[in-house]
Amino acid sequence: MKRELLAICIVVLILFGLPVGAFIYQRQQTSSDSTKRVIIIQAAVPEAGGFQPSAIKVNAGETVTLRFSSVDVTHGIAIGPGLGIDLGHVDPGHVKEVTLTFDQAGTYTFYCNTWCSPDHWRMRGIVEVTDPNNPDAIPTAYHDPIIERLVAEGVNIDANVTMGMADHPQPDVLTFDQPPSIEKGNILAASLAIPSELEDADWQLSHTPTEGLTLLKEMNPATPIGDLTNVIAYLWASATPSEDIQWAESYYNQNCAACHGQTGDGNGPASDQTAESPVAFADFTYMFGVRSDVLYAKIRRGGMGTDMPNFGTLLTPEETLKLVEYLWQLAWQSGDG
Amino acid sequence: MMKSQRINVLQHLPFLRGILKSRLFQPVLTISTLFFFTLAIVTGLFGTPVGNRNFGIVFVWIVWWGLLIMLLVPFLGRLWCAACPIPVPGEWLQRRGIINRRQGRLSTMRWKFPKRLRNMWLQNFGFLGIAIFSAIILTRPEVSAWLLLGFSLIGIVLSVLYENRVFCRYVCPVGGFIGLYSLMAPVEVRVSDPQVCATHTPKDCIIGNEYAYGCPWMVFPGTLERNTYCGMCMECIKACPKNNVVINLRPVGSDLMVAKERRLDEAYKAFIMLACALLYSVVLLGPWGWLKQWANMDTLPHWLTYAGVFLLANLLLLPGLFTLTTLLSRRLGGVQLPLRQLVTDYAYTLVPLGLTAWIAFSFSLVFTNGSYALAVLSDPFGWGWNLFGTTESVWAPFGSSLIPFLQTGILTAGMLFAVNTAYKIAGQHTPDPRRALRGMLPVAGFITSITFVFLWLYLG
Repeated sequence: MKRELLAICIVVLILFGLPVGAFIYQRQQTSSDSTKRVIIIQAAVPEAGGFQPSAIKVNAGETVTLRFSSVDVTHGIAIGPGLGIDLGHVDPGHVKEVTLTFDQAGTYTFYCNTWCSPDHWRMRGIVEVTDPNNPDAIPTAYHDPIIERLVAEGVNIDANVTMGMADHPQPDVLTFDQPPSIEKGNILAASLAIPSELEDADWQLSHTPTEGLTLLKEMNPATPIGDLTNVIAYLWASATPSEDIQWAESYYNQNCAACHGQTGDGNGPASDQTAESPVAFADFTYMFGVRSDVLYAKIRRGGMGTDMPNFGTLLTPEETLKLVEYLWQLAWQSGDG
Repeated sequence: MMKSQRINVLQHLPFLRGILKSRLFQPVLTISTLFFFTLAIVTGLFGTPVGNRNFGIVFVWIVWWGLLIMLLVPFLGRLWCAACPIPVPGEWLQRRGIINRRQGRLSTMRWKFPKRLRNMWLQNFGFLGIAIFSAIILTRPEVSAWLLLGFSLIGIVLSVLYENRVFCRYVCPVGGFIGLYSLMAPVEVRVSDPQVCATHTPKDCIIGNEYAYGCPWMVFPGTLERNTYCGMCMECIKACPKNNVVINLRPVGSDLMVAKERRLDEAYKAFIMLACALLYSVVLLGPWGWLKQWANMDTLPHWLTYAGVFLLANLLLLPGLFTLTTLLSRRLGGVQLPLRQLVTDYAYTLVPLGLTAWIAFSFSLVFTNGSYALAVLSDPFGWGWNLFGTTESVWAPFGSSLIPFLQTGILTAGMLFAVNTAYKIAGQHTPDPRRALRGMLPVAGFITSITFVFLWLYLG
């Protein structure tokens, strides 16, 4: 009778104890100590629901572990803005986690940075960090001086340039005998008179290379236009430190190249799935008529009706500017072979 | 087959009789497998939906399947059925206990299972019904878990309604092919001297006694000549007061020659299993991605087309071709037996061929995907656990260069065995060896052709 009872106990333990034990163990795994909360986030393609949960709340100063797993395809997990967290690829069924402490109240975004589906760019979730001492505080509105200046200027940053709408006054279309070269421009710049505006980063930000060319030509009327465009290319590309360009190149390749192409030719593998053709940054003719602050605004706000997602919730303004600088590198790359 | 070709294992290993006579023998097996079965269901329902990271998928459809078809069935026949956890909750309810022999009749409603269903047809159609969803079942943990749970619930319901293992004997889709392929096993549970049983009127092995239940598989060991319906639960060994029930080692495939028990439902099981091995090899191992998508129900029309072709191939195409082959065989051999009997008889040649085809298929499946087992051992739910430190073990196909050789070897062995079986069966139809040879030629041609199709699929 004893062994019968023992057998019944073992069977009951298996049928009920095993599942209950598994869940208790999992619970312990996710809350092993009170100071470290584990939040499990399942990643699926946006068509299947994206991140679950897609919104999580933590207190400022609280240490949390975000544990990501993929339930379908390989995703890439990053968290921004300004955190510099990139967990890399998370393969189906695998788990990756990051433990972090959010110091200040605010909103952060976790997102997929590996092309996973046609709606990949929708794959985002938010971490809402609240101040435990003032949990009901309404966050102060974020001011972006660059975008506010554009709005004040009357630039329509939501205009769709690929549909023929001008987002800012367009200069005359230039014709080029050959692509502008940063290297040649670097050599030539020493022998030309450079207007002070062109060496002012703030001026450059809010003006097109064509406008810069006009000023340069006024001071150097005898210089052939081809040489002047080389100098403009040099001036538009020279300000950014190389490590920032490296970071921006990596970010661009992960997050932008799928549509815009790794070389910026606007012909990435997903370019035929977007509502409008992605902009070709490698088209220097087009880029001569583009302002950096407009590029900045497009990146941060996204392109209305084009399928260009907003990156303002993923990148800090500084990171966005680095990305803009990299776009200029793409614009001039053909001139230097 | 000559009696002298048997080796009584219990005579040579007397301690084994002690183990098998113990009432702990089967519960130890079933409780052990119940643990893994429960884990497979729980992980399937609540774990990651990614198949290769879920214990339920990896351990059921790779580890268990590999063990079953590559080792257990070919070498030990139906021994798995003695360890299977699916019917045991129902059986324990019937017996109102797990280990001990409770006196009195089994607790059931004592309905009579319909006579017309006392065959393999339910198992045939059940297997096909599952097979058309196999691409989904084999990859979706939740679906797989519900299927296993469903089997267990059906087992419980049938145990409440009917006495003994009606589920295993007539319903279980897996049990059907295990039964058929156990004809090949070199192990059997038989009586040592049938005369002892014939004169022993109490028939403890059927009605049970204080030591054991009557045969749960509704088989009389005294006249047992084939493995097909013996679940190797060993109750008869416990029950027999004469110690007349033994376990024999015997030549492989001995049961294939038991002519009087051949039946059309079993013949169809042989057709279905061979066709399924062929179609699975095409769909799951072949290079045709679109076919995988159709089987995976990418769209309903695609899947309906796939399922229609699948069923047609199983129920009409392969049996039809085999019937034409048999017709030719009858003409060449000059045999006057009814076509139905000839088709049924010769279908048993497809048992060795089918079994070796499944083993060849499983070489690819198990060797290629077996390494997933390490990761899910440590993280059965795919929740990021690392119980044994193997979670991060990477997928590493085993013996890739060896697989084609193993497949060629096992298929060739199966083909030769099948052709030899065809000759022996033809010999049962006519005493003239020349006519037997002529009669078996078309069947041998059919067997060879099917083998070449498999080799083409596996070797390109």
